Amino acid sequence: MSDTQLPRYQVFLQEKPGLPHQDVGSVHAPDPEMALLNARDVFVRRPECAGLWVVPAEAIFSRTRQELEASPEFQPDESMGAGPPSSRAEKETYYVTCKPKPAGTQTLIGEVQAASPVEALKQALEQFSSTPAPFTWWVFPARLVSSSDPAEADSLFDPALDKPFRLSTDFNTLTRMRQIKDSSQ
Amino acid sequence: MYRTTIEKVDPAEESEQLRDFEDRIARGEKIEPGDWMPGEYRRQLLRMISQHAHSEIVGMLPEGAWITRAPSLRRKLILLAKVQDEAGHGQYLYHAAETLGASREEMLEALLDGRAKYSSIFNYPTLTWADVGVIGYLVDFAAILNQTMLARCSYGPYARAMVRICAEENFHKKQGQDIVIRLATGTPRQKAMVQDAINRWWWPTLMMFGPHDSDSPNTPILVRWGIKTRTNDELRQTFIDQIVPELHTLGLSLPDPALVYAEATGHWLTGEINWEEFWRVVKGNGPCNRERMEARRTAHADGAWVREALAAYARLQANGK
Repeated sequence: MSDTQLPRYQVFLQEKPGLPHQDVGSVHAPDPEMALLNARDVFVRRPECAGLWVVPAEAIFSRTRQELEASPEFQPDESMGAGPPSSRAEKETYYVTCKPKPAGTQTLIGEVQAASPVEALKQALEQFSSTPAPFTWWVFPARLVSSSDPAEADSLFDPALDKPFRLSTDFNTLTRMRQIKDSSQ
Repeated sequence: MYRTTIEKVDPAEESEQLRDFEDRIARGEKIEPGDWMPGEYRRQLLRMISQHAHSEIVGMLPEGAWITRAPSLRRKLILLAKVQDEAGHGQYLYHAAETLGASREEMLEALLDGRAKYSSIFNYPTLTWADVGVIGYLVDFAAILNQTMLARCSYGPYARAMVRICAEENFHKKQGQDIVIRLATGTPRQKAMVQDAINRWWWPTLMMFGPHDSDSPNTPILVRWGIKTRTNDELRQTFIDQIVPELHTLGLSLPDPALVYAEATGHWLTGEINWEEFWRVVKGNGPCNRERMEARRTAHADGAWVREALAAYARLQANGK
């Protein structure tokens, strides 16, 4: 087999307008546009979805609570490029997500202005820390986020509304089983 | 973004890390990518998650064969949606395995060259429309019991994939049960058709839960590390106790003369499973193993031009702008 694996994009889904984006998993795609289409097909076969973000996986700087406790003076990952390097070293917007509970998932909690992923995470730890401390933190530059176009939300997400049979509530099997049982007694 | 290298540490430190790791699991914390984990935990998870992903992908084939022959437009739409879901579930699971440092390409390669295993249930043929109903009702219900357990497992990315999958699998089970109810309450020919499907799928479905606990060497460590919280035999018994009375209500019988209800324990007891058949199918010699692998390889080869076109387009975009 002579395939080349396509880059991986992390996918964040917003269930309803006003709710924070949440990590749902990842897709492989050659570019952000295809990543968004793949993300729609993989993660939005049913309602609810109001918007999707895709972010190159290698641009996400992540630390778990355990890693932060082990080395509070963290270094950037060697493997991490943060996408096209921002040589200007100027401050830019980074999105911050964290997982506050033992179960649950990465959820957007805000943004910081920083010149590097390490600086962004340091700021996030100062600004958004809570008690108990979140279990995981992710930061990534806003400029590398590709977002679904709100003007195309109808064509992207509304088709999921027309297929009620995708929901288990569309089948009255419990009632049918009860009727059959009653009629045989 | 995921660091999964397992550093070599001295045994004393390692045992301390192991104790912390097991304490976290005991407290109900999820292990996340980046956290320390024993090499064996990672190995077991990779084995389970990749097999699970492959099962979703191969699982599209037996039912996919009936999309063009569904008896109505509504049934065709439902079956299409279900098979699409299986493709999506495979993608969720490959992602979960990637967080442990496996690449999707190497996992697909292992499937296509026959090294990887997948659930043996998909190596049986779908001979009639009733099989589509019975797969949804029995096979997907068996899968739901296993997946509901895994949705509580100690590894965060696997647990989250399972939560999404379980919500969707309930539709799979109900659409199957709906078909079985229709046929079981239909004409004598329909009833005979669904009984025949039950007869063929009953034992392979019981085998889905895996070998008896006494023959399942991985179970103790999986339970200890919170990957599984129930054993193969416990899950199998839960399945039997729920499905047998339901099938009896529908006037259907099971192909097991030894099947008996034990008043004392409240459990349905079955005859012995044919484990020779189980191992024969697992090792590649079931009714459809070769056909399934051939279909996967053909699909992969037929899709090569799409992957090439995507790569060429991405190259042009990168160079042209």
